[in-house]
Amino acid sequence: MQEQFSRAESGGAAPGAIIHEDTTVKWFVVSSISYFFIVGIIALIIAAKFVWPDLMGTTAWLTYGRLRPLHVNGMLFGWLLAADMGLTFYIVPRLCGVKIWSEKLGVATGVLWNVIILGAVVSLLLGRNKGFEYGELEMSLSVLVVVAWLMFTANILMTVFQRKYQAMYVSIWYFMGCLLWTAFVYLTGNFATLLATGVNQANLNWMYVHNAVGLIFTPVGLGIAYYFIPRTSNTPLFSHKLSMVGFWSLAFVYVWTGAHHMLHGPISQWLQTIAIAFSLMLLVPVWAVVYNLLITMKGQWHQLRDKVELKFLMSGVVFYLLTCFQGPMHSLRTVNAIVSKTDWIPGHAHMAVLGAFSFFAIAGTYYAAPRVFGKLLHSVALANWSYWMIMIGGLGFFTTLWLGGFWQGWQWNNVSIPFIDTVVALKPIWTVRFISGVMIFVGIVMFAYNIMATVLGPETEAAA
Amino acid sequence: MLRKADTSAVWAIVASLVLFFIGGLLTTVVPPMVDKSWGRPFANADPAKGPTGTLVRLNAQQQQGRDIYVREGCWYCHTQQIRTLLADTKRYGWKGVDAPISTPDEFVYDTPHMFGTKRTGPDLARVGGRYDTQWHRTHFRNPRDLVKGSIMPAFPWIVGNPQEFTALVAYMQTLGRAKDWRPSNDYER
Repeated sequence: MQEQFSRAESGGAAPGAIIHEDTTVKWFVVSSISYFFIVGIIALIIAAKFVWPDLMGTTAWLTYGRLRPLHVNGMLFGWLLAADMGLTFYIVPRLCGVKIWSEKLGVATGVLWNVIILGAVVSLLLGRNKGFEYGELEMSLSVLVVVAWLMFTANILMTVFQRKYQAMYVSIWYFMGCLLWTAFVYLTGNFATLLATGVNQANLNWMYVHNAVGLIFTPVGLGIAYYFIPRTSNTPLFSHKLSMVGFWSLAFVYVWTGAHHMLHGPISQWLQTIAIAFSLMLLVPVWAVVYNLLITMKGQWHQLRDKVELKFLMSGVVFYLLTCFQGPMHSLRTVNAIVSKTDWIPGHAHMAVLGAFSFFAIAGTYYAAPRVFGKLLHSVALANWSYWMIMIGGLGFFTTLWLGGFWQGWQWNNVSIPFIDTVVALKPIWTVRFISGVMIFVGIVMFAYNIMATVLGPETEAAA
Repeated sequence: MLRKADTSAVWAIVASLVLFFIGGLLTTVVPPMVDKSWGRPFANADPAKGPTGTLVRLNAQQQQGRDIYVREGCWYCHTQQIRTLLADTKRYGWKGVDAPISTPDEFVYDTPHMFGTKRTGPDLARVGGRYDTQWHRTHFRNPRDLVKGSIMPAFPWIVGNPQEFTALVAYMQTLGRAKDWRPSNDYER
């Protein structure tokens, strides 16, 4: 397996090596970092609104209720999924030892994706919101997402079918899993929900919300981590067998857990119990993956000093471990009674999507962007600064929201405290969250600027 | 067996879909067939069994109000569910009467559902009849005029549009009212 991995990766050295055009990768890299920056501004505004509620408060399209879905959809689909798709287009042909099946189809996918995101910005600001979490986009845009996803799926699967090496590295399974599961998960959350009402609809909605993270961002993110950790550290993966355990247990247990979003709520108790049981089982795929990736780095940790990609990747692995420990724990009824619906939840969600999966995507972009554009990274020092800004800002963001959320939950459970007092009590928390958000945003600007300066910078011969 | 998926893409695809669909179908398609209360509208005439009442569909005005509630994203900060927690029933009760726990049969006509995931503001599952129209007018114009320390946005463009404002309040006054839970019909209008 490792031999195949390094063979596929030996770049221009081997005779008759493939020259990858990577036009699709370029499209996705540039558009995803642009949205990371633009939507970062939206994120700052909504964090500021918690501290100064009258900020921009008399314009309909600048209110919290309009900007929040833009922040969520913009970050999930405009930045993270676009970056992940770009990296999939980068990795899969290299692991398969062939060119991408159709570069033209790939570019068309990238263009269509931009149309969708721009349409989302306009329609969400106008208040055209379907009313489902993560499923806000209006019907025409949801249909376009499905079309774009089918184009993406066809391209990647055809590349895999034409591969030169018979054995498939673990990243390829994760990418294929993501392609297939996403299709069904997205259809459930955006179309099947419309056929149901009430609790039945909510159950379909939570299946989508949970698996948007669990079966879209998790598999594609882990595929990226499984590729770039051995790649950037020049170290073979610790165990192929363990990666199988992680993948197939993920495939089986993740989808069962949607109802844990409604614990103590108006949904059948037995379904809540099933969701709790499977939420606990999530520890199996998570620990298998994390152990495998951590042990891969055994004796190689010193490399983190020099390689910014590894800093992001290994911090992402630790955040992944932490966020996926929180998940099963607050699916327990006793813990859930305290933290559910509090500010703990955005703390948890941000550690998954920003701390784990965006870290993987940032690392991949730092590695792939200079190579596909045939340039050297503009500034390694700036890249290190971006890491520390996002890391420290992120830690400030996560920890204050957990502490604040727990505190809020205790206050809610004491009914002698009026609700508004529990709001006022959290204002210091939201102030720290805003300051942490500014730090994260500065890190994002450094990252986006660094990549753009690389893209627009002078040609070099050092390209791999 | 899964070893085959190492070298065969078709095997990998089939196996990952089969594993996915087992859990997928059992947790989304099967539950509403097993628990019929998800689809049966609330109706109770016997006080011995708890609050009486009937779930009715929203009229055109209330539906317009609900559409505004969806459009403005109220549901990002307000949940609509009294959970099986003592604190929920006490906190959202009224004059010493506990709020009844939310049950699936109260939400049969809801689409999109508005259960919510985050309580930046209080739960609204039983807010119907809690405040009168004048209170809502002042509150939507600027929440901080009534509730010091509130961080809710002001909605002057709704208050300034009598038709939208009336519709939104009409919708809010229906919330939680399928169950007639307050003694002697003590609801604000």
